[in-house]
Amino acid sequence: MSFFDSLRQKAPFLDKLADSFTPTLTRDEKFRLKYKLPASENILDDTNAEVSYASSNEDGKGRLERANNKGRKTTYVFSGRLFLTPHFLVFRDAFDHSSCVLILNISTIKRVERSPSKSYEFALLVTLYSGAKVLIQFIGIRYRSEQFCNKLKSNLKENIPNAKNLPVFLETSYSEFLIAKNILGKKDITVPKAGLGQHFKYPGNPTMVKEKAKLRLWFDYFRENGRNLAIVQTLMFRKLIRIGIPNRMRGEIWELCSGAMYMRYANAGEYEKILSDNASKTSQAIDEIEKDLKRSLPEYSAYQTEEGIQRLRNVLTAYSWKNPDVGYCQAMNIVVAGFLIFMSEEQAFWCLCNLCEIYVPGYYSKTMYGTLLDQKVFESFVEDRIPVLWEYIVQHDIQLSVVSLPWFLSLFFTSIPLEYAVRIMDIFFMNGCITLFQVALAVLKINADDILQANDDGMFIAIIKHYFQTLGQSAHPDSSDIKYREITKFQELLVTAFKEFSVITEEMVMQARHKYEKGIFQNIETFMKRTQLRHMPKTFNLSSDKLSNIYDMFYQSIETYKISMGTGSSNMGFEVFIQFLSKFCDSCRPCEKDKEPAFRKQKRNFLQRLFNNWDSAHIGELTLNDVVTGLDKLLTVDLLQAINYFFSLYDTDDDGELHREEVLQLSEGLLMLTEPWKSGTYVDLLTKKRIEDDIAESIIKENGEETVTMNQIELPTGVTIDEEKYKAEQAERYLKAASNFLQRSFEYAKAVNLAEEVNLIDLSDDEDEEKHNAKLKKLNSIKANVALDPTHPKVIDLPTFRMIILADETYELFFSNTLRSSVHVDEHINVNNKNKVLRSMFDGILADGKRVAEQVRRRVDSVATRNSITSAESTPTTAAHSITTKEEKYDDLDDFTSEHQSEHEELLQSSWFEIEDATESNAMQERPFEPLSVSPSDKKSNLIEFEA
Amino acid sequence: MNTSVTSIKLVLLGEAAVGKSSIVLRFVSNDFAENKEPTIGAAFLTQRVTINEHTVKFEIWDTAGQERFASLAPMYYRNAQAALVVYDVTKPQSFIKARHWVKELHEQASKDIIIALVGNKVDMLQEGGERKVAREEGEKLAEEKGLLFFETSAKTGENVNDVFLGIGEKIPLKNAEEQNNANNERESSTQRVDLNAANNGANANGGCGC
Repeated sequence: MSFFDSLRQKAPFLDKLADSFTPTLTRDEKFRLKYKLPASENILDDTNAEVSYASSNEDGKGRLERANNKGRKTTYVFSGRLFLTPHFLVFRDAFDHSSCVLILNISTIKRVERSPSKSYEFALLVTLYSGAKVLIQFIGIRYRSEQFCNKLKSNLKENIPNAKNLPVFLETSYSEFLIAKNILGKKDITVPKAGLGQHFKYPGNPTMVKEKAKLRLWFDYFRENGRNLAIVQTLMFRKLIRIGIPNRMRGEIWELCSGAMYMRYANAGEYEKILSDNASKTSQAIDEIEKDLKRSLPEYSAYQTEEGIQRLRNVLTAYSWKNPDVGYCQAMNIVVAGFLIFMSEEQAFWCLCNLCEIYVPGYYSKTMYGTLLDQKVFESFVEDRIPVLWEYIVQHDIQLSVVSLPWFLSLFFTSIPLEYAVRIMDIFFMNGCITLFQVALAVLKINADDILQANDDGMFIAIIKHYFQTLGQSAHPDSSDIKYREITKFQELLVTAFKEFSVITEEMVMQARHKYEKGIFQNIETFMKRTQLRHMPKTFNLSSDKLSNIYDMFYQSIETYKISMGTGSSNMGFEVFIQFLSKFCDSCRPCEKDKEPAFRKQKRNFLQRLFNNWDSAHIGELTLNDVVTGLDKLLTVDLLQAINYFFSLYDTDDDGELHREEVLQLSEGLLMLTEPWKSGTYVDLLTKKRIEDDIAESIIKENGEETVTMNQIELPTGVTIDEEKYKAEQAERYLKAASNFLQRSFEYAKAVNLAEEVNLIDLSDDEDEEKHNAKLKKLNSIKANVALDPTHPKVIDLPTFRMIILADETYELFFSNTLRSSVHVDEHINVNNKNKVLRSMFDGILADGKRVAEQVRRRVDSVATRNSITSAESTPTTAAHSITTKEEKYDDLDDFTSEHQSEHEELLQSSWFEIEDATESNAMQERPFEPLSVSPSDKKSNLIEFEA
Repeated sequence: MNTSVTSIKLVLLGEAAVGKSSIVLRFVSNDFAENKEPTIGAAFLTQRVTINEHTVKFEIWDTAGQERFASLAPMYYRNAQAALVVYDVTKPQSFIKARHWVKELHEQASKDIIIALVGNKVDMLQEGGERKVAREEGEKLAEEKGLLFFETSAKTGENVNDVFLGIGEKIPLKNAEEQNNANNERESSTQRVDLNAANNGANANGGCGC
């Protein structure tokens, strides 16, 4: 028990601790990341096993019998864990993960057979396409091993179509070419398509970089350990990469290490398809790419030729279509230009995909959050690892990112001479993004002494620039030891980076990223908002505060859209639009009436009109600017403009006239829009005025004939107002307005299109008498209904419409005020809406206390002349002070005259809301409307309560 | 004051590939490169000129033009005393972008920043390129917003030095009070910036040779 108690006590602390760690990836995610497998791969089964790999004999015949057979060439047996995914067999050594990793695409498996073994052992002999054999000896209970094998078997079966692609794929592999040429003696074999370097030379001096010797090493390695889709990666593999991959081999090893090879194999033909599918299209990304094509490693000769440019164009364009969320980002051109020296277009394309997805996520995104984040992470590493330098940089206000940002963003391609940059890339693809941090830290560390002399950015930049330009020179030119003198600055850099800064691990980077992510995102959001608000269309009715709020609401809505629909578009579709408006438009809020299908339909109909009207580009989606422009029109303070705008929503053919159907639709729209007032959810100005009048009345009752000056007026104590009464009045008023509207519409409609309309009914041409009669009958029934009478005029134009609206007090007010003030673009949507509405209305009345006062004065004047009300008993002065208990209320109300009876009873049930003092109205605004919830009986509140 | 060196922090802004880096290269090295690599993030260069017997050291921050790099820009125009907003006279879109930059600078940069609006690539007009932004348009915007206005060619060097001289002349005019204001302003902002201000003075005396 005490154990759990102590655990519970620690819980908050553990929570905090958890915060500082990286969000945990799933086992499959980690596995994929580690072996750079495509997203389709997940672990289906895993088991302990002993694995040995035996290459095919020179004569091509399989040689491997049993790994421990003596007298033959030694074969290593590795003990570790074997994983099965849909398309891969992955084995890793149990003790040192890097000492042996076997990654085998199952397409390379030619045959699987049960190996002759002792009865208690279970072993499989896997023969590969290359002729090599893998012996897998399962460790564990036989039953589980059988299970594993069965899964492997069914995977192999399913994979047969894929396996057919293998021979073609292998023709593109330089390692296969090497083997074929040197072992099988095929001299006439064509060199596989490779990078531009094939024709335009590779960077660096081939004898200096010992190209041939290195190629030989790789050849030996491939022969012994397999290659491309079926390879054992041993410590030697890593070593060969560290000493520098030979130029001819570089493309394939990059592709292999980055997992791009697996993507290319799994998605054969996709690259060409993307290009051909989008061949004639244009986009912003393409424009941007075009600008930079000639500006990508211009010093490399291939990029001054159409061939080089075209390859670059193809890869960048294809990626912009593949991942439109990223599109194109400057620096990608340089990176891809670097890839293309060593890789074919297709290889470079998949390499770029994995680079953006796995290695440097977010670097090239539209907000470049990954870049900003890693700069922050880098700064924190500098602060941590080279504190003296960091302090100096801060003191001298040197912008570290000026030099370091291009290193990360262009993977050192722009900063370091090509021949060295590619060496860093060799290690980058093997070890991941930590390489960038390690090298960057090493650069600063090595140059720290000089940097500590720099006193501004200019000197700082000059030091680094000079350093990079002299990387080929001796790091210790003055040393007496020749060996020491021969060490170049670049070698020194690698040693510093990968020895001294090997402390920088993947986990550290992940952790630091997690730590700073929030802040970076916040900064970006602030910046984006500021920028977008600055470039908003000019608005007449929306202040900057409101725009800012609309911005927030807009993107909050889109966010949900993004999650559920999985798109990154910043535009708003119709469904999201409905959600969006329902957050701050009283008429669009969800309500009781929504249960009625007819009402729902009307609502959608109106919203669709609004949506179409706002959709400036006619793409079925709204941009933020569309929404702002639309709201600006909707919220015009000009009465006539408001009416005109509403008219235009229904005059979709823009002929300045509304036909019968359109008028009916419009009236339904009006009915739908005014529902919140009809149902009494909200109160319009007319009702408010009535309430004010009644308050004034009661004040007068209280004060009687005494002269009242403006200053003396206070809101009366405990005035109770019958909410239901006002609600009912208001509802009636709106219904009447609606029916008046329809009636007047058809009354005043013009007869212009009369003949046309009658024709539509088509009385004359009827050959069938029965039908004719039926039509006549129908016509008569239609005639009976004035509104639908087709013989009656049925077109109204804008001036008529305006006249009809202005003829009705309620509708006039609706367009001049009610509608506008029911759209709360200035309120934050998180706040409880109902409370807000009630409160703001009340705040309004209180803020308008002067108006009440004026009312009172007017009344007092008239009362004085009439000299009629004197009775003190009828004043509500003695009424309840505060409704704390039911009984108290009851007692107080007992004093009232009978005419107030109904009010008292309602008061018993609940109170709508109460206000303590007009002078405290400010304080009120700060508080949520508690009395609502404390009201005695039910939630449906019926009384308005004032108290002094 | 007149014998010392005045440092002017100047930032270049504008759409991608309008020639920002080329203008700087022309001004600093009197050179031109046809296919210059795009600026990644930002570049920093310095150049000294003598204006009215007064040495001015320009500390030039050249920024990346692509839209998505815009979020980095505040880092570079922070505390800038001058800015070149560059557009390409053959690309109307770049002029719209220039407007945006002017607006952003007026809202976000230091209050007294001197902005020069620069229409670049006029050499292309002689080579058959079509002018898409009229000189009058640029002049009008400059007048409205109180900017210096130039049309330049980084390729031929036309007017490039005048841009910087124009800015240099405008700043020393109100140098004394400006410097004071700037210092006050800086002190009130962050400690980091304050240190920088002090350092500027040291710089000027030392007269570093870069």
